[in-house]
Amino acid sequence: MTATPHLAPPLVPSPGTTHLPTEPAPEPAQSDQRHSLSPGFARRYRVALRFPRVALSVALWVVLALLLIVPIVLFLITAISPRLLSQGTQWFTLSNFHTAFTGFFARGLLNSLWLSALCAVLALGVSLGLAWGVQRTNLIGRRAYPLAVWALLLMPSFLVAEGWEYLLQPHGVLNQFGIPTGLADHLFFGPAGVVFVDTMTIVPFAYIAVSVALANLGSEFEDAARVHGAGRWRTARVVLPILAPAMLSALAIGFAETISDFGVASTLAASSHFPVATYNLFQAVDSNPSDFGVASAISWVLVASAAIPIAIQARALRGRSYAVLSGRSRQPVRRRLGGRGQIVGTAAAGGLFVLALGAPITGAVVASMLKGFGTNLSAHAFTLANYRLVFDGTAGLAGPLLYSTRLAVITATITAGLGLVVARAMTAKGAGAMGKVLDLILIGSVALPGIVLGAGYIFTYNLPLASNFGLALYGTTPLLAIGYLATCLPGQSRLMVGPVSQLQDSLLDAARVHGARGFSAWRRAALPILSRLMLWAWLLTFAKTLLELPVSQLLFPPGNATAAVAINNFVGTSAHYGEATAMSVVAMAEMFGVILLGLALFRWLAPRGWQRIGGFIDV
Amino acid sequence: MDVAAQPGQIRTTGTTGKIRTTGSTGTDRMDRTTARGPEPVATRTRRNRGRRLALSAIALSGAVGLAACSSPSASPSSQPASSSKVPLVLYAAEGYDSAMATAFTKATGIPVNLDDDSTGPLFTKIEAEKNNPKWDLFWVDGDQAFASLDTQNYLLKGFTPNVAYNSLGKSLVPSDKSYIPTGVTMAAALVYNSDTVSSPPTSWNDLLSPQYKGAVGMNDPSVSGPTYPYVAGQYQHLGGTSQGQTFFTALKANGLHVYQTNTNTLQALETGQIKVATIQSSAGIGAGFKNPNIKVAYLNPETVLPSVLGIDAHSSATVQAEAKQFVNFVLSSAGQKVMQSGDPTGDSLYWPLVNGVDPLSPLPPLSTIPTQTLNPYTWGPREASINTWFTDNIVQ
Repeated sequence: MTATPHLAPPLVPSPGTTHLPTEPAPEPAQSDQRHSLSPGFARRYRVALRFPRVALSVALWVVLALLLIVPIVLFLITAISPRLLSQGTQWFTLSNFHTAFTGFFARGLLNSLWLSALCAVLALGVSLGLAWGVQRTNLIGRRAYPLAVWALLLMPSFLVAEGWEYLLQPHGVLNQFGIPTGLADHLFFGPAGVVFVDTMTIVPFAYIAVSVALANLGSEFEDAARVHGAGRWRTARVVLPILAPAMLSALAIGFAETISDFGVASTLAASSHFPVATYNLFQAVDSNPSDFGVASAISWVLVASAAIPIAIQARALRGRSYAVLSGRSRQPVRRRLGGRGQIVGTAAAGGLFVLALGAPITGAVVASMLKGFGTNLSAHAFTLANYRLVFDGTAGLAGPLLYSTRLAVITATITAGLGLVVARAMTAKGAGAMGKVLDLILIGSVALPGIVLGAGYIFTYNLPLASNFGLALYGTTPLLAIGYLATCLPGQSRLMVGPVSQLQDSLLDAARVHGARGFSAWRRAALPILSRLMLWAWLLTFAKTLLELPVSQLLFPPGNATAAVAINNFVGTSAHYGEATAMSVVAMAEMFGVILLGLALFRWLAPRGWQRIGGFIDV
Repeated sequence: MDVAAQPGQIRTTGTTGKIRTTGSTGTDRMDRTTARGPEPVATRTRRNRGRRLALSAIALSGAVGLAACSSPSASPSSQPASSSKVPLVLYAAEGYDSAMATAFTKATGIPVNLDDDSTGPLFTKIEAEKNNPKWDLFWVDGDQAFASLDTQNYLLKGFTPNVAYNSLGKSLVPSDKSYIPTGVTMAAALVYNSDTVSSPPTSWNDLLSPQYKGAVGMNDPSVSGPTYPYVAGQYQHLGGTSQGQTFFTALKANGLHVYQTNTNTLQALETGQIKVATIQSSAGIGAGFKNPNIKVAYLNPETVLPSVLGIDAHSSATVQAEAKQFVNFVLSSAGQKVMQSGDPTGDSLYWPLVNGVDPLSPLPPLSTIPTQTLNPYTWGPREASINTWFTDNIVQ
């Protein structure tokens, strides 16, 4: 699921966790009944605390099982035992793996592997350069670039690909204004274009991982290197390895997100005839009859390949300390770029975002306004007719968009809360092996495209024994919401692990000492610090859910199409091509509008204190 | 502290790197200061409380608003079912399906839950639901899917609707009567741009001539549903697999362009990248409404692509009786009128199989087109291998 970033490396012990006292404070000399700190009471208190904690973790695992584990496992089992889910005649077979590793499917798998590796490395390079420019120099516009990174994160990858297609295709937007596009078109519709769009899609994840680590790197290492006579590049070679954990984390995330991407695979890669694993998986499911066995075999490979970079990262970091943030860290001095430096820097960073964001958005907007776009008849004739059609056309967008908005709001709210619980479970003291298992389950879920989860949900919630238990969820709106939740939760939880693990338990103890209890203690001590994190988690989940396609296509209740399904149905019909482009623009406008509204409301209404702490990536 | 190993951590403000919190004691330097000095605690607490109240009020009203408009209406045709009328679940990929569902409910009072989507996802759902099917009726273009479902005994057999089929219609009904054809289009009509082509080709072999070098476009059969019947039709017409492969290899040598869907192919045609395209007749005629230069010709032979209705064998007797009513309605004159008016620039441009019903005006009479039909029980199972050959040899 190419949903949301997930950043924390697997299980690093939370920093600076002070040891919680295992014994209560020593009794005061005179045993004052009011203070009730006798050992007997303390023991009973801890035992009483443990029960709700155990019940909570069992409840969490049950929720995760229903959300993620059972549907994915059932889908994976189909490769080995198709008969179990009525998808074949054999109770046990390895022939699906054989098919997945030959011919066309094998080419797709190989392409996916090298594509993901290459894009991860490129994205790391780009984000390192960008982070350095924003944090360590006085580059003009450096406050705007993190915002652009967020915008890039929110932009669905298929829209970036389509926007470029509108620009570059023959008689596309650029041609309409007399700009020839032959060579660019040829380059773009091929592996080069796929690498470009995929890299741009994962730059935000890598940037988030790298920029925070860079921010925490004091200047003493660079100073030491330069004192010993190292030039610019030598210094970089000395300092960069200190950022290794963040860099490896960025590589792992970039790899997992690219290999599971479906947006670019189904638009650009497909029309360039460049096979990749996710599109092959989709074709296996889409064929007649559906070949869930081969699709499942491909899923095994996707999950396994996502685990590899995580394992490499864990191995590389073991036994070394990268702790560089201390009381003696020195604030680095911003390098002053000369005129030439500013020009080069702005051209590079600005050019990057123009290519990644500006061009596709312009392409899509202008295309929606050109009269008769896609035919010979359009000639600088701007019109808003397509937009009118969107709202009073025969099968307009208003209904599906409203439906999607409602679902997105509900999903975002639940994800923000549940993600916090999961992140806490992964980072709590004593999480141990369970925490690692949880981490693997989450990263495995991220590596799988949405169609797998959708089909897994049908397998699970349409089981005959499900209806025996009175669980008639299939074909209803709640199941669609649960499906969205499962799509977004793994990514969001991993995003939250970093900040949540930094929260010291002593904060809650301090609140309790001052008289707050339970939820009130959490609300007043932890919530202010986590508020911006939860806000961004909410906004990201909203954005990803509003235009979600694969799970929606399989699970939407009859009669209630979601926005992306409606747009997709229109794109298929050439008579409605203009309307389809206008629909995409309207949906994107709503997405960005809600995000800006959310940020504005927070800035206006949240208490001052909440806005000052717990910042998250310079915004 | 192993902080560097924790990307995504909370960023701290201030120059010393410590997390600052606001306290209620008023001694923190981050208090709001006004022109008269630090703000008194009481005022700040009141303001924060006011903000929190406003925030909760907005959240609450938002939730109430959502709940209030959260009565998801199913398709407009669904009404509260009376005791004897069970809702019919219809999975359909036709442009006129919602018009038909509404009209049927109006005529009979039976509510219809319509799942309108493209053929691919619908078929995926049906296959994934195999151990517990939820659908009652399935209505898409192309009979291969139905042959496959019938082979697995998922379709109700032996049902003859009360309709007078014409001869083409009769030839499309399978021997075990497991599905019902409702209309036909041509899988691959010859669509051309009259700006660039003054006289269109008159036979399939014309496409191999130098005159059309680099000027022919078609869809990818593994992506576009109607294209596989066109490819299979060529194999059948030319006499077998090797002859068919020879034809398409020659076509590729003559510069064939392969696109993903009708949209891409039509765009290429309209913008002059190609001169002729072989796409579904309804799509070609529909494009002609918007651009009068797009015209359609028919070569010998044209492979027929039927739109087909199938009934789930596992539904209850009540539901099956209602489904049969639906089929009869579709094939009645009232139903045919709905089919022809529900999507006038798309799927409504079909040739009826019912005696006494004429196609819409842009379509020539069926008798003037040399047609051939494909046996889906023969050609359906070959789809995977033919598509794979095509992808490996023609698309790449």
